[in-house]
Amino acid sequence: MSSHDVMPDMDLYQPVQVEDAISLAARLGDRAWLLGGGQDTYGWLKDRAKTTEALIDLNGIESLRGVRETEDGIEIGALTTLTEIATNPLINENYSLLSQAAGRVASLQIRNIGTLGGNVSQDVRCWYYRRGLDCYRAGGNLCYADTPEGMNREHALFGASRCVAVNPSDTAPALVALEASMVINGDEGERILAAEDYFVGPAIDIESTTALREGEILTAVRIPSTWANATFYFEKVADRNVWDFALVSMAVAMKVSGNTIEDSRFVCGAVECKPRRLLEIEAAVNGRSHDGASAESIAATASAGARSLAHNQYKMPLMNNLVKRAIESV
Amino acid sequence: MTFMHIGKDFVPPDVEGKVTGDAKYAEDFRREGMVFARLLTSPMPSARIVSIDASAALRMDGVVGIITADDLPPSAPPANPMLASEYVTYIGQPILAIAAISEHIAENALAQINVQFERRDFVVDPLDSLVEGGPDAYPEGNAMVLTAPEGDENTALVGRIQPVKWKAEEIAKFRRGEEPDGDFTAGWEYGELEAEFAQCDVIVEESFVTAGTPHQCMEPRTSMVYWENGKCYFHASTQSQSSVNNGLAAMLGIDPADLCVINENTGGGFGSKGTSYPTMGISGNLSRLLNRPVQLRITREEEFYIGIGRPGMQGWIKTGLKADGTVAAVDLIIVSDGGPTGQNSASSSAGHISVLFQPAAMRLRNIPIFTNTAPRGAQRGPGQNEMAAVLAPIMDKAANQLGMDRVEFRRLNAPNSDSGIYEAQGPVTSAFMAQAIDKGATMFDWQNKVNTPRRRGNKLVGIGVGQGYHGAGGYGYDGLVRIHPDGKIEIHSGVGNLGTYSYASTSRTVAEVLQCDWDNCQITHARTDRHLPHSSVQGGSNTIFTHSRANYAAAMDALTKLKEIAAGEFGGSVDDYSIGDERVFRTDDSTTGMTYAEAAQKAIELGGRYSGAEFPDDINPITQRAVAGIAGTGLVGVAKDNLERKGTPPGQIVGFVEIEIDVDTGKIEVMDYVAVADCGTIMHPQGFSQQMNGGGVWGIGMAAYERHVYDPQNGLPANVGLYQSKLPSMLDVPANMATAAADIPDPFNPMGGRGIGEPSQGCAVAAMTSAIADALDGHLFNRVPVTPDMVVNHLAGNTVNSVPLKLNTF
Amino acid sequence: MNPKITRRRFIKGVIYSAAAAVPGAGYYVATAASSRPAGAVERLISINVNGRTRRVDVLPQETLTHTLRYRLNLTGTKLACNRGECGACTVMINDVANYSCSVLTQQVKGKQITTVEGLRAADGTLHPVQQAFIEELSPQCGFCTPGQVVSAAALLIANPNPTREEARQGLSGNLCRCGAYDHYLNGVMRAAELIA
Repeated sequence: MSSHDVMPDMDLYQPVQVEDAISLAARLGDRAWLLGGGQDTYGWLKDRAKTTEALIDLNGIESLRGVRETEDGIEIGALTTLTEIATNPLINENYSLLSQAAGRVASLQIRNIGTLGGNVSQDVRCWYYRRGLDCYRAGGNLCYADTPEGMNREHALFGASRCVAVNPSDTAPALVALEASMVINGDEGERILAAEDYFVGPAIDIESTTALREGEILTAVRIPSTWANATFYFEKVADRNVWDFALVSMAVAMKVSGNTIEDSRFVCGAVECKPRRLLEIEAAVNGRSHDGASAESIAATASAGARSLAHNQYKMPLMNNLVKRAIESV
Repeated sequence: MTFMHIGKDFVPPDVEGKVTGDAKYAEDFRREGMVFARLLTSPMPSARIVSIDASAALRMDGVVGIITADDLPPSAPPANPMLASEYVTYIGQPILAIAAISEHIAENALAQINVQFERRDFVVDPLDSLVEGGPDAYPEGNAMVLTAPEGDENTALVGRIQPVKWKAEEIAKFRRGEEPDGDFTAGWEYGELEAEFAQCDVIVEESFVTAGTPHQCMEPRTSMVYWENGKCYFHASTQSQSSVNNGLAAMLGIDPADLCVINENTGGGFGSKGTSYPTMGISGNLSRLLNRPVQLRITREEEFYIGIGRPGMQGWIKTGLKADGTVAAVDLIIVSDGGPTGQNSASSSAGHISVLFQPAAMRLRNIPIFTNTAPRGAQRGPGQNEMAAVLAPIMDKAANQLGMDRVEFRRLNAPNSDSGIYEAQGPVTSAFMAQAIDKGATMFDWQNKVNTPRRRGNKLVGIGVGQGYHGAGGYGYDGLVRIHPDGKIEIHSGVGNLGTYSYASTSRTVAEVLQCDWDNCQITHARTDRHLPHSSVQGGSNTIFTHSRANYAAAMDALTKLKEIAAGEFGGSVDDYSIGDERVFRTDDSTTGMTYAEAAQKAIELGGRYSGAEFPDDINPITQRAVAGIAGTGLVGVAKDNLERKGTPPGQIVGFVEIEIDVDTGKIEVMDYVAVADCGTIMHPQGFSQQMNGGGVWGIGMAAYERHVYDPQNGLPANVGLYQSKLPSMLDVPANMATAAADIPDPFNPMGGRGIGEPSQGCAVAAMTSAIADALDGHLFNRVPVTPDMVVNHLAGNTVNSVPLKLNTF
Repeated sequence: MNPKITRRRFIKGVIYSAAAAVPGAGYYVATAASSRPAGAVERLISINVNGRTRRVDVLPQETLTHTLRYRLNLTGTKLACNRGECGACTVMINDVANYSCSVLTQQVKGKQITTVEGLRAADGTLHPVQQAFIEELSPQCGFCTPGQVVSAAALLIANPNPTREEARQGLSGNLCRCGAYDHYLNGVMRAAELIA
């Protein structure tokens, strides 16, 4: 377990057409690694905790960049940087939930190169796993974090299945709240998944946080106008205000009329291996007008069903508090 | 006193290079034929090395050689060896280094080396080792015990690693916050402890724990070494240009005269580069072995291990106050986590209390325990700052029980120039803490703030006060100044360059004494072969005091020689002469005299002590070599600091902070920060501000962010990088911090100054924890850092996560 | 982006293994240009650094920091974490601040790279940020300073007249262990005045 700092030898492909990238991905199969902004990739490779024979760099594919208006909302190319998403007028005016979330990712420089596609497809940050240990997610047969003495302050409250890592993405909860859909291309053509189905927990796939299959590329994210200009609430609680991943985050879209929340989507980040829809909270608030006191009592159920580990029980009140704040923000 | 230079800002000569990228650090040097070394390190916290097979790696194209412990002199634990021989005692411990023509090949080669280990039990928490039946970090035991060698009662005590164990029920008592009964290996006591406690109206007992945070200097320490004609040229990252020489020469097995240390800039030290360290020895010896220039750049992760960390503390304190608010007695127990190196700062922790609260009686009982975690060493305000962190709210609790204002309480107990400190209750050079407290309370508007409501919407408001202390200066180092025949004044400095600029600000003492234009002065530093005097480590906040004294002594020697030369030329005695405009002249007739340039020319003619051909015999051998190297080139002023001494020059600061705690998220935001130092004269206002602010950032980091996390199951460290170590970012600290000084000169420094680099963290962390307790209605966490999860759990009434005195925790 | 199309191949192995050496990552001499697979990038490329086009031999996986420091000897760009967690390696790519440790050199072909060495005017005059950082004594140890300088210069290109809070956001991706944040912020505000 010596420390490494330099990536081992590998080949690099830089296609400029998405079709070429797809055929490369199909041809190279599990011998290649898709490269977006690379901000999750390089650490793995420099640490030599994972390796690959080839990188397929998607950054030269111009068609994967940019924000476009569609008939019913917008489409964001998967290679669009987080800085652009945080500052794009179309997104800011109608879907500011996403720009707020993108603006809270990591640091300025990482947002300048990190992409939306990479942010929603990034690997988990469980520190045991990132050290290159032989845990379930790495193909082994144990979990280092889910033990009485495991250092698991940043791990999951829900959806554990051998692995207790959480999805670290800041934009993922926002996309689920906005009912986004994910455009996926592969050798067999295009398929479209609801954001809610794009993110998967360990029970479905313990080695990946997404439903992407081998050889597939996430090419775009579509946001329907359903929640355009809704009332949004986003909050990310992290140790430090730069770089750090969320301890808990909350992305909420609400349609408010007068004092009444007519419809809502409450999505919590960093408590499960995928963004967690809070369906019971939505059911409790939809169609009702709320004062502060009832916000608190409704919010207290946000963490119901949680299975806490030795060091992450705080995430339960933290979830509840953020739900309360979201309701009170109306 | 009105100074020409002291107390005024100037542009230190190294600043421009830092902003243009021209400044060179060790890794920026290249040399023909240079090869790159990489370390193979221990994957286990504790093991015996059975075998090493590097044959496949050595056969690889581009690999040029290897060094293992077999190539080095043996070393005995707990000394941190250059390379592990039989036992490894922490993850990340260097076992061998391999060199190749590129870093990339060297890293590939690591994978081809097969090392067989035999696992041993390990321990990452001292109390798990101290308890009966607990594992020991070393085969020999878990504690350093001083014993008298058998048969001879008169010889000095010898340290041996031995097992020391406490009964399980005593560990359990300790964890519950009660005074344990067990064996200690160190400590001290003064005054009548029980008698003083008997007179107390308020007694507070608490247990506490602090994290052993890594230094994480920005520069991963690099060496670039080459040998030429039997001499070793060593580009180093170090806190000292000259005082590192002897230790490094010993690692290389050479005469210090054959070592040229080159260190123009160092990317942070904070105590971790005060002496020679293992990778220096590895790269130097490997370079000699290969007969090639070797660069060894370590990774950020390796910097976590090799860059060492602060020892952790698990402790118990009992403090007693009399009805009038004076602190009568303090009883302190500290179990230190010394990692595999056993660093122990407990005496300084106790000393912090003895200085700032002046108890009439005090006792420290201490045992440092070895653990299989990263090596430990001195870190900014060692002992004092971590004590400040947990002490402040405990002292607040006691003051509050007396109904006494927390600032008034500190003012009442503050040290003055007649106070005694530490075990020996020895003297200080001067102390004006009460004046600093008064000034700070006014700047911060304490009276108003402390009476404002503690709730603003969903924020809890906390108002805190805390103090930092560090012994800030030493005596007896050498100064060396040369006036060239062209009139240029060259100040030779062996002080390291960490970015405090004190190597430069203390050099201005020479310009002050010689009343010369700063533009006519040049500081020579950074390379042994530039003839540098023996200097202290740039650490311990000591440069300002120590080296303004040493430079003053050298400048006074030059001044005397100037006057003697003039008197020789124009008659009369030295008392008849004055200086001004870089001339020495008769006081009664300023037209009769000579320029410094002329005097320097004359000094060369005169030779002897004037030109450095002779020098005082009390100067260090390093300085002797330096003087010999420049003899005959000008008027040489050289002297050891033999100025009057009186005890410890105290660097002390009071900090005030206003925070808001978000009741929903547990996040702590600093709204206002004021720190006022008792550091004598401010020698360099911008440098002062830098140290005060930088220490403030460190204090906020210690209070609320920085951590040391080991997994007890496997002994794995979780915070090897910057992201997991949580060094505060620009958005975690306030955009403005106000600083000032009591500004009363210290009589034992001719320029009046004392250092403040270390207490600037202590006062900030203390004010922060004081404010956190204040915001939470007096709740004591008794640990740092205080992170959002702890606050959220506390406010929600969760107790599941709090394991008392648990050392390694998120 | 998630390496979904790989199956994970961990090379560090288990921590309970008795051997430190683990399989994988076999050594071979870096691929020569002629032996690269069809379609993979060439090693000999041109990049534009500080206004000059430079021809360099670059490995496919080589980061820009490495190329700058070891191929072009531009050592002002510092390598402090090599993981995008500190900002000491910050350079501008087309006037935007980026961590050069976390971008491949092969990705900057056709783009304008500006390092700390490239900020001075042709006549050697310091960039306003450099001048202001000297006047405010912004650096301490100086190791993070080149990154702070470049971030500040990039900020002032995008926003020549920032508020102190905007300056704080603009420099927030640059860690300073000495804690010289206040002095850096003062430097940025002074630089904005010098530019105005």
